[in-house]
Parts: sequence; structure tokens; C-alpha cells
Amino acid sequence: MSNQKKRNFQIEAFKHRVVVDPKYADKTWQILERAIHQIYNQDASGLSFEELYRNAYNMVLHKFGEKLYTGFIATMTAHLKEKSKLIEAAQGGSFLEELNKKWNEHNKALEMIRDILMYMDRTYIESTKKPHVHPMGLSLWRDNVVHFPKIHARLLNTLLDLVQKERTGEVIDRGLMRNVIKMFMDLGESVYQDDFEKPFLEASSEFYKVESQEFIESCDCGDYLKKAEKRLTEEIDRVAHYLDAKSEDKITSVVEKEMIANHMQRLVHMENSGLVNMLLNDKYDDLGRMYSLFRRVTNGLVTVRDVMTLHLREMGKQLVTDPEKSKDPVEFVQRLLDERDKYDKIISTAFGNDKTFQNALNSSFEYFINLNARSPEFISLFVDDKLRKGLKGIAEVDVEVVLDKVMMLFRYLQEKDVFEKYYKQHLAKRLLSGKTVSDDAERSLIVKLKTECGYQFTSKLEGMFTDMKTSEDTMRGFYGSHPELSEGPTLIVQVLTTGSWPTQPAVPCNLPAEVSVLCEKFRSFYLGTHTGRRLSWQTNMGTADIKAVFGKGQKHELNVSTFQMCVLMLFNNADRLSYKEIEQATEIPASDLKRCLQSLACVKGKNVIKKEPMSKDIGEEDSFFVNDKFTSKFYKVKIGTVVAQKETEPEKQETRQRVEEDRKPQIEAAIVRIMKSRKILDHNNIIAEVTKQLQPRFLANPTEIKKRIESLIERDFLERDNTDRKLYRYLA
Amino acid sequence: MSPIESSSSWTLESDLEDLDIDLQDYGPSIPLKKVPNGDIFEASRAGDVDRLRYLLETGVNVNARDRWDSVALYYACLAGHIDAARMLLENGAICSEHTFDGDRCHYASLNLRIRKLLKAFEARPPPLAPLQASLRETFLGCFHNRAYLKQASVANIDVSVSVDEMGSSNYFPPDVVFFVQGRPIEAHRVILSARSPFFKQKFESEWKDRREVRFSKEKLSYPALCSLIHFFYSDRLEISVDDMEDLERICKVCKCESLQRIIEKELIHQKYAEYKTHRDLDNSMKRFILQGISLPEEDRLPASLHRILRVSLAKPFADTSGDSLNSSVGDKRVSDSVDSLADVCVKVDKRTFYCHQVILASRSEYFRARLSRVNDFHEGKNDLPGDCLPALEEHDLSAEAFEKMIEYMYTDGLKEINPNQAEEIFDVASRYLLFPLKRAVADALLPHLETATPAELCHWLVLSDMYGVLKIREYCLDLVACNFEAFVETREFRAMLLTLPPPSGDSSLRTTAPSAPGAMMTTDQGNLLDDLREKWLEAEALELDMRDESALIFDKRLRMLVEMAEQEKSESEAED
Repeated sequence: MSNQKKRNFQIEAFKHRVVVDPKYADKTWQILERAIHQIYNQDASGLSFEELYRNAYNMVLHKFGEKLYTGFIATMTAHLKEKSKLIEAAQGGSFLEELNKKWNEHNKALEMIRDILMYMDRTYIESTKKPHVHPMGLSLWRDNVVHFPKIHARLLNTLLDLVQKERTGEVIDRGLMRNVIKMFMDLGESVYQDDFEKPFLEASSEFYKVESQEFIESCDCGDYLKKAEKRLTEEIDRVAHYLDAKSEDKITSVVEKEMIANHMQRLVHMENSGLVNMLLNDKYDDLGRMYSLFRRVTNGLVTVRDVMTLHLREMGKQLVTDPEKSKDPVEFVQRLLDERDKYDKIISTAFGNDKTFQNALNSSFEYFINLNARSPEFISLFVDDKLRKGLKGIAEVDVEVVLDKVMMLFRYLQEKDVFEKYYKQHLAKRLLSGKTVSDDAERSLIVKLKTECGYQFTSKLEGMFTDMKTSEDTMRGFYGSHPELSEGPTLIVQVLTTGSWPTQPAVPCNLPAEVSVLCEKFRSFYLGTHTGRRLSWQTNMGTADIKAVFGKGQKHELNVSTFQMCVLMLFNNADRLSYKEIEQATEIPASDLKRCLQSLACVKGKNVIKKEPMSKDIGEEDSFFVNDKFTSKFYKVKIGTVVAQKETEPEKQETRQRVEEDRKPQIEAAIVRIMKSRKILDHNNIIAEVTKQLQPRFLANPTEIKKRIESLIERDFLERDNTDRKLYRYLA
Repeated sequence: MSPIESSSSWTLESDLEDLDIDLQDYGPSIPLKKVPNGDIFEASRAGDVDRLRYLLETGVNVNARDRWDSVALYYACLAGHIDAARMLLENGAICSEHTFDGDRCHYASLNLRIRKLLKAFEARPPPLAPLQASLRETFLGCFHNRAYLKQASVANIDVSVSVDEMGSSNYFPPDVVFFVQGRPIEAHRVILSARSPFFKQKFESEWKDRREVRFSKEKLSYPALCSLIHFFYSDRLEISVDDMEDLERICKVCKCESLQRIIEKELIHQKYAEYKTHRDLDNSMKRFILQGISLPEEDRLPASLHRILRVSLAKPFADTSGDSLNSSVGDKRVSDSVDSLADVCVKVDKRTFYCHQVILASRSEYFRARLSRVNDFHEGKNDLPGDCLPALEEHDLSAEAFEKMIEYMYTDGLKEINPNQAEEIFDVASRYLLFPLKRAVADALLPHLETATPAELCHWLVLSDMYGVLKIREYCLDLVACNFEAFVETREFRAMLLTLPPPSGDSSLRTTAPSAPGAMMTTDQGNLLDDLREKWLEAEALELDMRDESALIFDKRLRMLVEMAEQEKSESEAED
């Protein structure tokens, strides 16, 4: 080390000799203090940032950080005390403006001071863990200005007054308001919450309590909701304009609580304008408003939903159980569909397609449709009606719509097998009489049923369709192999598979000779191609077209049933026949014969035969002759059989019984299936599982299930447990 | 500062402590092979830590691949050399997920311990050097560039700086905005010029007066350009593999040749790597990470800025004989500074430095405040004509020290430091809040202190206490405590005692309880003499129950010394 270097290292050789000067710290601080004063007086343009920073830096460097820090706090506090006096002195409206102005000045000054004292901020404050300059400046402002006793309460009252004024429709200076609120936020979340937000929410709560009471006394439900909605958007708007975004949830919950939650029941049940009224009058706007408002409060939607469900059930019950209305099945179903459409629309337009509401709607419908035991029959009849004539001239898309709606109702049915029964009957009638309008529609409905209930449900229905198809082919084959038959009467045979079709006892009757010859030929043709089959003639389901010439030469083609044909053909050989003679010749069962004669002789305008004596009813002693004077505007005349479209009471009973009969094997099958997998199960669980398994088809009756179990025990499928009689065991 | 130094202080013990695996189980059963002449791959495979350290210190690229397409880290992981692996990782080896090399190392790891090490480093990639880190913050501090960050975090790229950390405090206004595919990228001319000849040429000609540049070419991709510019600022490239072709094209245009070469190589590599990865199984975006040290020295950020600085400093020094600052700098036209893009001149002790605002502001909070917020002060009132550079004047420091500091600001590097200058640089570093510089100077200074005399050491002790240079302070205190008697003999030591505040009599500050072995000294510096007493007690290693008494003896001794010093002082004054 050279000598020269050594000299440099002398302690006295310090660059900053300042330490030696005991007054150094005081002098430097005075400079800085003056600077702070000047900055506060907005007179900083004469100050050199570089110099001030250097001074502050040197003070900290020479361990006068403490002095600098406390000095800075003391100076700033003094300034703020002065300011708060100025603010306090401001009169009336200028109070907030003055506060805002001073706040902006303070902020600017604080920033400048922070920059000057940056070295202290980074080193001295860091190591002594004191609050930094900027937060310190803010908390000084808070303590000396905002919390200054004469300002604190006045500030809050002024702000709340302004909000109150705005609520009552006056225009206030939102910009100023925003700045002042921003000040609270800058001072820290707790300051904002304690000094402004909490009192603000309390005042709001009070305000809305009074206002909602006023409204509910004077307005109907719709108007009230409109007002509540307006208030809500106003508050949200207010938050967006001059409050902290975090306050939005709080203030809206206050409005919701005071305006909606507290008056919920009263609003919903309001006489003449409540929910029921809105539903009845399709007030979509009001309903939508109610939905969006009530959704905001707990239990709001539940209340709405409950009231709607109650109303729906009540209304549905009336609709379904009214004997007047169930007279016309088509009308009945149409009414259900209309009702359903109405509520669907309400839910989709006003309730935002809310799933819970849809569920409520579905459960209500399910509830009241099943109140009427004849619903399955009616729905089937409705479909029958639509498929017979109703769908003529309707576009395919619309057909689908109608069918979909029907399927919807079908879904509500608990006794789907009853529907199946009726549907089968109606379908058979449609197919055999060739009344179906559209094959596509029929098939599409079957596909829908299949997707809904599975293959099992529709296999027989589909069998019916295949039968129709194969019969057509068979007939073509028959006439192809017997070309000589093109002369004379034409026979069209539909071969129906036993089991697929609704069975009716085959009623034998003597066919006229011309026909029976043909039948024989067909029988031998058919059995020739299909060995091992048995044909039996279902004469009660056929129809015939016969040509007739009446007295004065009027020619007509008569469309009649097979029975009627048999009767009419008799008159080819005789002019006058008695009832007994007819019965003997045709061997038609008495009830059918009577009905058949009635339709031939007693229907006005279609009475191709006459009877003696002239009376409405057919007696055993009556005699019949051809009505030579028969006339009709049309060449073709359809002579309908007198049939009841709707089932008569005994028929209903019969169908019911057949349904019950059909259920038995299904229940048994279900029990066996369950027991096979479970081996041992107690009574209650079997009932529950069977009911669950059969749910898609029908609602099984527990007593019926019990009977079936007993029958299975008798047949050694199951046995009771020896110790616990409630337990069943499966016997393999 | 070399990258080795910058990250050496950074260890990972805390992350590995929870591994309760007996180290013995994993130690090699046979002694490790030494490969005195091996390259980095051989050294890694053999686990020869000494050779590896030597190689890394000479500056080899840790992420280089050998002809088997493997990086050194891969061999270290495969062979299970945890120390070698850690050394590589600490020096910036890449092990991030979704990078080719990173994934490969993970799969190849010999044991759980290695994998855990990789995981720990993956979560916390090696920190950037101060220069790169502060420029990166400046880049990300620009409002529009946050979008890059978001996009990066969506793409699962490690972002070591979270968005919240960057308040407006890191903001320095950009002086050029690019629009690529309709999206803005904010940047600073000087950085781009320093890194790419293309940008330099453009800023000197076509884009000279433009603040906005809109690229309309559809081919130019936003992610690629953004990654590149981010690389310009931070010397760290993070890009998804899908964007790499775009990046290669851009590099070609920007004439970033060394980077382009690496990217090209990597692209070929990725093409073949495609066959090796199960792309279908892994839908996450593959990415590529490049550290600045993979580039040749002259293409890294410090070197680039150093060139810029040389150009700026090469300007004829203004003769500031004139009294008025305005007249002396007012005539320095912006046109003079075109070639160096300097946008501010700083006058220090009769010398004028041409500098770049963005770098001063990024490195020093003082300059950031000074450059962006002085309008309310006297300095803001210099109504310079529009084409003049803004001028700052700094007092109370020497031009030499300022030059050293500027050099450090631009390059993070400190050329050989003269102990005479150290004090001034400490002063400058504290004054401009450039704390890393203080540490760098301390590191450079320590070897000199070994030959220092007691008087000099006293001087350094006082200095380091004043400027808060803990490393030097500790060193001096240790020396004084160990050789206390020798110091007592020197007049300078006694004189120093006079200038120091007396030790606090508060015994609660004293650690009478034995300190746990290896426990850290509190980093907060307290009273110097208190600390000296502690050191002394430790050095004397006295009986524990004697500590209080010994402390009292020490205090008494000190008082006597102070009295002696006062006497000496008055004598010398009398002599004068």
C-alpha cells in the first residue's frame, strides 16, 4: 500500500464532513421542512428535486433517519390540522368540494414528498419496519381530517343526504360524489366500510322499509314489481357510478330484503293481481319480472313455484273430474294440451325455461291426469280421431308436433298398459277398415312409443302393421294363381296373427254361397303355401261393397259390414224374410244381428230394407223386405253399423278386467326376475322393487302383488322363510 | 457479473429438507470417477463436480446438446449425480415441463431425489440477473404487454413475476408501439436497437419520428414477435414450439443471427423429436426455453447494451464552462444523438453523459421518479426547445464514479475496481438506490481487504456501517474482534470510537444464551459497537456464565479507549 493511499483512508478524510457539524441535522431538516411547506402551498416550482433528495439522503445516511421521519410526520400532521379547519369552515354545499379539493392537493403533495424521501422509504423505514411514507400520509389524512370530530359526522350526513336526494329524483353532482367516495376507498377498505358503507346500508334499509310499505298499500302486484325493479336498477347504477364495486351485492341484498323478501307472501297472494291472476291472464311481462326479482331472494322461487303448482293442480282437477267435460274425449284431451301449451309458454318466456318450474309443471300434470281413470282411453281416442281424419291436409311437421304433444301427455300416464290396450283396439279398427290417413304418422307414433317404453310395448303394434303388409302380398299371389277369379266377387283377406291383434271371440256365420266358395279357395291356397297353420274367419271384423239395384232401377254401391252383407244377400232369393228366417240362414249371434238389422232398416236415409212393424227396435217377430223406394244423392252409400265410439259401461268394465288379467303375468314375471337375482328378500322390499320395475307400464297394486306372490308360493317358485314369515326365498 | 455469481447465493435446501431419505442409500458405492479432460457431458455423466465447476466458470453453455441429442443435465439425472445436477440447474439448465429436454430429464431421473430436485427447480426457474430482471419488469410494466403475460400463463409457460407484483411503479412509458395482427406491443427503441441491427437501422431512418408502427403482413405472428421482444429485454426466450417457425423468420429479418442459428437447429431437432414424443397423449403445448447464456457472449443483453453505452459515452464531452445549464445542453440537438438513441443527458461534475431514460428508469427508482415526476419541481421548468434533449444535473459526486455506475446500470458488470473509488461508488449506489451494485462492489473489494492495514479496516468498517454493506461490515467486525488487541494499539481505531455512538447498556440486546451453531446473525444492523462486543465475546469464546461479566469488562475497556482518544484529539488540536 502506498503512502498516498494510506492518507486517503484517514478517518478525517471523509467526504461528508457533516458529521462534525453538530447542527448539520437541524439545518438540513430546516431546508426539508421548508420544502414540505412549499409543496403544500403549491409553490414547489422553485425547489430542486435533486437537491432535496440529496439532503434527505444524507440525513438518513448519517443516521438521522429517525429525526427525518418524525419531522415529516409532525409537519404533515400540522398541515392537515390546518386543512381540516379550512374544510370545516366551508359552508353548506361547498363543504364537499372543499374537501375534495384539499384531498387532491394532499395527494399530489404526498406523492412529491414521497419521491423526495425515497431513500428513507427504501432503507430506514424498511429496516425499522415503520409504515411507509405513502400509507403514512394516507393514515394521517384519515386521522386528522376524515376522523376529525367536526368533519366526520358532517361528511357522512352530507353524503347520505345526497344519496337520499338522488333517490327522490333530484340531480346531484355524481362526479364530486365519486371523488369523495374514492377517497374513502383509497384510505383503505376498512375506512370505506366503517365510515361510509355501513351507515349507507343502514340508511338504505330504513328508506326501503318505509317505501315498500307505502307501495304495497297502494299498488297492485304488477306495479309493485315494476317499482321494485326500477329501484334495483337504480342502486346498481349508483354503485357503477360512484361506489365501490364490492358494495353492489350488499346494497342489492338490502333492496331485495326490504322490497321483496319481506313482502313475498303478500305479493304472491295478492287479490286480483297476484300470481294466479297473472297466470290466468298470461301476463308474461309481470311474470318475468316476478321471476327475475324473486330469484334474487332465498325461497323466492320456491314460493312462486308452490303457488303455481297449487293453482295448476286445482285447475287440472276441475278440468279432469268435470263430468260435463269428459263427454267428448277429443275435446277433453285438446283442453289438456291447450293448458299444457299455455304453461309451457309462460315458463319459456317468463321463467327463463327454469328446470325446476318445468318439473313442477310435469308433476302437476301427472297428478291430475291420473285422477281420471279414463284418461288413457281418452288419449287413445284423441289419437284415433287425429289419425282418422284430423291430420288431413296438415303438413308433416305439424303432424309431428301434434304427436309429440300426445306423447307428452302419455308420459304422464301411470297406467300405460291401459293406454296400450285401447290403442291396440283403435289401431286394429283403423287398419282393418282402411281408415288410416297417413301410414307415416302411424309409424312415427309407434316409433315414439317405442323410444318411450321399449320394444316390448310396441312389438304387437308393429306386428299388426306387418300383417297388413303380408296380407297384401298374399292377395296378389292368390289372384295370380287363380286368374279365372277376376270375374265375379272379389275377396280381400287380411291374415291376422293371433295374439298381435285384440282378440274377439270368433263368431261363426253362414256366408253366402258365392263368398264361401271363394273363401274355400283362399283357404286351400293359403294352407298350400303355409303348412301347419290354421285359418279362422273373423267375420265380425270384415266389410263388403255390394252393388244393388232397387225398385225403379236405381243402382247403388253399398258399403256394409260382413254381417250386413250376409243379410242383404238373402234378399236376392226372397222378397220378404222374418227375423227368425234371417237368424237361421245366417247364424249370426242375436245381439250382432239385431244391431246389424237396426242399421239396415232403421237409420233414416240409409234404410235399404224395411221392416214391419215400423219401430225403432228389432223384435223377434219382425219381418223385413227390400225398400224399393230407397234413394240417395250418392252412388256409393255407406251403411254404418251402430257402434258406440266411446265404450259403454259394461265394455269399460270388460276392458278393465282384461287389463287386470294381463297385468298378472307381468307382475309375476317381475317378481321372479327380482327374486332370481336377490334369492332372499322381505315383503316390503319386493313390493317396492316390483312397483319400481313396472313403473314405465303401470302402477302395480300392492294387494295384487301380494296375491301374485301367494300364487307363486303355491306353484313352488318361492317359499316363506321358516323363522321370519316376512322373508321370501327363491326356489330354483 | 457472470451468471455463476448471480445465482450462486441461491440454494434450495428448504425444498429438499422434507425428503427423509438416507443420503447414504444413494451415495455411490464406488468412488466417483474423475474426468480431468472431459467436456461438460462427460463431467456430468461421471459426476465430476470439480471439472464441472471449472467448465461452467469458463462459460460453457449448460443447455447445449451433444451429438446424441442429450443435454448435460440429462446425463447427470440418468446417472443419479445429484450434486452435478444441482450445479447444472443452478447455472440455468432447463428442466421445465413441456420442453423437450425438461421432459426427457424427468423421465430419465434415476431416483426420487433427483426428480424432486427437478420439480423444485421447475417451480422456480433460475432468477434473472438484476439487469435482465429489471428490464423485464419494465417491459411487462407496459399496460399492453400484460397480454403477453396472460397468454403465456395460459400456455402454461412459467411466469416468475405475477401480475399483481407489478403495480404502476414499474411503469416507464414506451416510446414505440407495434401493432401486429391488430394487437399492440409496447417497447423502447434503445433496447430493440441494441439487440437487432434491423431495428437500429429502421429507427434511424423510416421510423425515426413514428410512435406507432403497424405491421400489416399476415405472416408476422403476434406471439412470436412478442416472445422475441421479451427476449430482447430479459435474455430469456419462452415460446411454444408451434410459433418457432414464425420466430425463425422474424430473426432472419431482424438479423439476430446467433439466435436464428439456434432456432434453426432447434427446429430441425423438434422435427425429429416429434417422432419420439407421444403427441396424442399429451395435448399440452410443447414449448422451448432458451437462456441468454446459450448465446455467444457478444449477443447477450449486457454486451449489447455495453456497445450502446460505448457509443453514447464516445461523444465529445460538453464543455460546461458556461454558467447556465440551459445554454450548455440546450444546443445539443436530438439529431446528435440519433446514432446512439440517447434521450437524456446527465451533467455530473462538468461532464455530460448521454444516457437512455428507459435504462436509468428501469435500474433506479430515483431516476424513474426524477424522469417521470419532476414536473412540479424546479427541474421540470426548463422550457427546452422541442428538439433538445432533457438535461439533468447531479451534484456532489464525481464523474468517474458516475461513469462506473452507468456502466453497471447498462451491463451489470463491474470492471476491476480501485479501492479508492469504492467508497464513492458505495455512495452513488445507495444514493441511486442501486443496491445490487453495492453487493458487486463489496465482492470486488473483499480480496483487497486481506492486505489492508488496521487503520484502513477501521475506515471500511465505518463506511460499510454507513452504507449498509453487510458483507464488508461483517468481515471487518470479525477481523477487529479476532485481533482486538492489535487494533486497540492503533490511533485510528481509537479515533473511530469517538465518532461512533456508544454501545447500548441494555443487556437485553445481548445474547447471553449460546447462539445455536450456524444460526444467522440478524441482518438488521444495529449499533456497531454492540455488534463488535458480540463478535468479541464469540472470538474470545469465554465461559458462558462469564459472558455478562466479560461484556462489562469490554465496555469498561471501550470507555477507557474513548477517554484516551479524546485526550489524543485535544492534544493534536493543541498542536495545530
